[in-house]
Amino acid sequence: MNNVIEARGLTKRYRKTIAVDNIDLEIPAGRIVGLIGPNGAGKTSALKAILGLATYEGHLSVLGKSPAKDRAALMEDVCFIADVAVLPRWIRVWQVIELTEDIHPKFSREKCLQYLAKTKVTLDHRVKQLSKGMVAQLHLAIVMSIDVKLLVLDEPTLGLDILFRKEFYTNLLNDYFDEQRTILITTHQVEEIEHILSDLIFIQDGRIALSSTMDDVQQNYIELMVTPDNAPAARELGPMTERELFGRHIFLFDCANRAQLKELGEVRTPSVADLFVAIMNGGES
Amino acid sequence: MKRLLALLKREFWENKGAFRTTPLVISGLFLLAMLMFLITFNHFDNEFQSLKELLRFIAQQDTDLRDKVLYAANMEISVLFSTVLGFVVFFYLLGSLYDDRKDRSILFWKSLPASDTLTIASKLLSAMVVAPLIFWIIYVLTHIVIMLMTSVVVMVLGENPWTLFLSLGSPFEVWSLVLLSYFSQSIWALPLYGWLILVSAFAPRIPLLFAVLPPVMLGVLELWIDFLKTFTLSDNLFGLFGHWFANSPLIMSGDQHSNGDFGPALGIPLTSAYDHEVTVANMFDRLFSTDMLIGLVIAAVFLSATLWLRRRATES
Repeated sequence: MNNVIEARGLTKRYRKTIAVDNIDLEIPAGRIVGLIGPNGAGKTSALKAILGLATYEGHLSVLGKSPAKDRAALMEDVCFIADVAVLPRWIRVWQVIELTEDIHPKFSREKCLQYLAKTKVTLDHRVKQLSKGMVAQLHLAIVMSIDVKLLVLDEPTLGLDILFRKEFYTNLLNDYFDEQRTILITTHQVEEIEHILSDLIFIQDGRIALSSTMDDVQQNYIELMVTPDNAPAARELGPMTERELFGRHIFLFDCANRAQLKELGEVRTPSVADLFVAIMNGGES
Repeated sequence: MKRLLALLKREFWENKGAFRTTPLVISGLFLLAMLMFLITFNHFDNEFQSLKELLRFIAQQDTDLRDKVLYAANMEISVLFSTVLGFVVFFYLLGSLYDDRKDRSILFWKSLPASDTLTIASKLLSAMVVAPLIFWIIYVLTHIVIMLMTSVVVMVLGENPWTLFLSLGSPFEVWSLVLLSYFSQSIWALPLYGWLILVSAFAPRIPLLFAVLPPVMLGVLELWIDFLKTFTLSDNLFGLFGHWFANSPLIMSGDQHSNGDFGPALGIPLTSAYDHEVTVANMFDRLFSTDMLIGLVIAAVFLSATLWLRRRATES
């Protein structure tokens, strides 16, 4: 199967800074990929390159097309929500549906109306009359009604309350995702998406710090919680990080012997957030 | 084609106020003024005791003269529409690629499979064809309503509207000439339109300032150089931009024409490069001139720069 996104030596330079530094990337079809990184790590720059919204250096191919040259053609098979609330404020709901239907060959009005029926958004509303959460619902309804191969979500739920955020991802997973589709998500709220991800990419200072499937992450990374008595023994095994919580010592191991660790204390799969912190800090030291 | 139509629809929806409400308001003002005139005329103390006497007087005038006056009057009704149309198009273009950058909805528009070229084309076509067409239709409808209102009054007062004015003044010819002058103006104004759309693509804020300042500076510079050469101001006070405006193929003033008659004029009859009488030939004379060719080249440069900028509008 061909890769949906293929990048070799992808670089994005602004006047003085390098936002994306010589990245190699391969994302196959049917995955939900989380692109995680601190502010200014180059996530958005990488996504903009992928979506044909910015120039770049290096080789980049999305669904076999060059985003820089073929943005319009690419957008027939790629959809994105970049940031919340970018729908034009003057437009009415029925107008945005009609325009998308006219311009997008793979849009289904029927589906969109079904999704909207579950919300409080009506066809006669202007976008500026809607709350931020409703705008996100509308945008998601439109995007989910387009039969594309790649969906890119850049902080799609920023500033929304927890109810909207939960519902957003539930809808995405239940009603939209299948093996033919690929979803690429960036967000700061890692804990909310980690259970839906199939792949994880950490990006730091424009470079990829980790690229792995969630299965591998669960295989390779082990969190160990021990009493202070066992802490020195655990330290001997070379953990990536150590922290203290309620008098217990928590270690994070990369590729350690699970049986051996079990003898020292409680063994768990680390959360993506903890792993993220460990790898980001590791990269600095 | 379907996409272009959708984008044109978008422009219309977004600018309904400017494109549709504005000419309707002008039309309303015309009709209101007309109504007020008809109602109050009887109360004016002037040389005609009543509207009936005025109509009688007009009916006794030479048919040829009535025809000429009506022809000019019919055409001048368009001037208010044209003037406002000019402002509408100016500000529409100035905001065309600026507003969606400002409110970030450009990210939504760019997520649709419509190319930047098509987007710019839709903006330009809205300014060159859609807006003038809507203004023209409302101008014609206003004119027709005025003729109907007047006919009713004329009939009530016992005159024959057909012989009095309906059969005179060639309204169909006037309407066609006005429409043609609108479209000629769209082409003549292309360098300006290209400039405005370019400014809307790059201005970080206050596009009006960026649009007006460079031409004003250029104009002053031109004036100053001229002054240094001749030490007089009279020669070329209007400069390049003034000539461009005065030579416009849009009906905007009146003039004494070569046959001695006074009538509507194209542009402003202060320059002699082109004949200002309102004829199809004179409009084409401007469109197939070297000036126009230079204008088109300038417009092409502006539009290419616009496309280049629009492609990179989401860079940072």
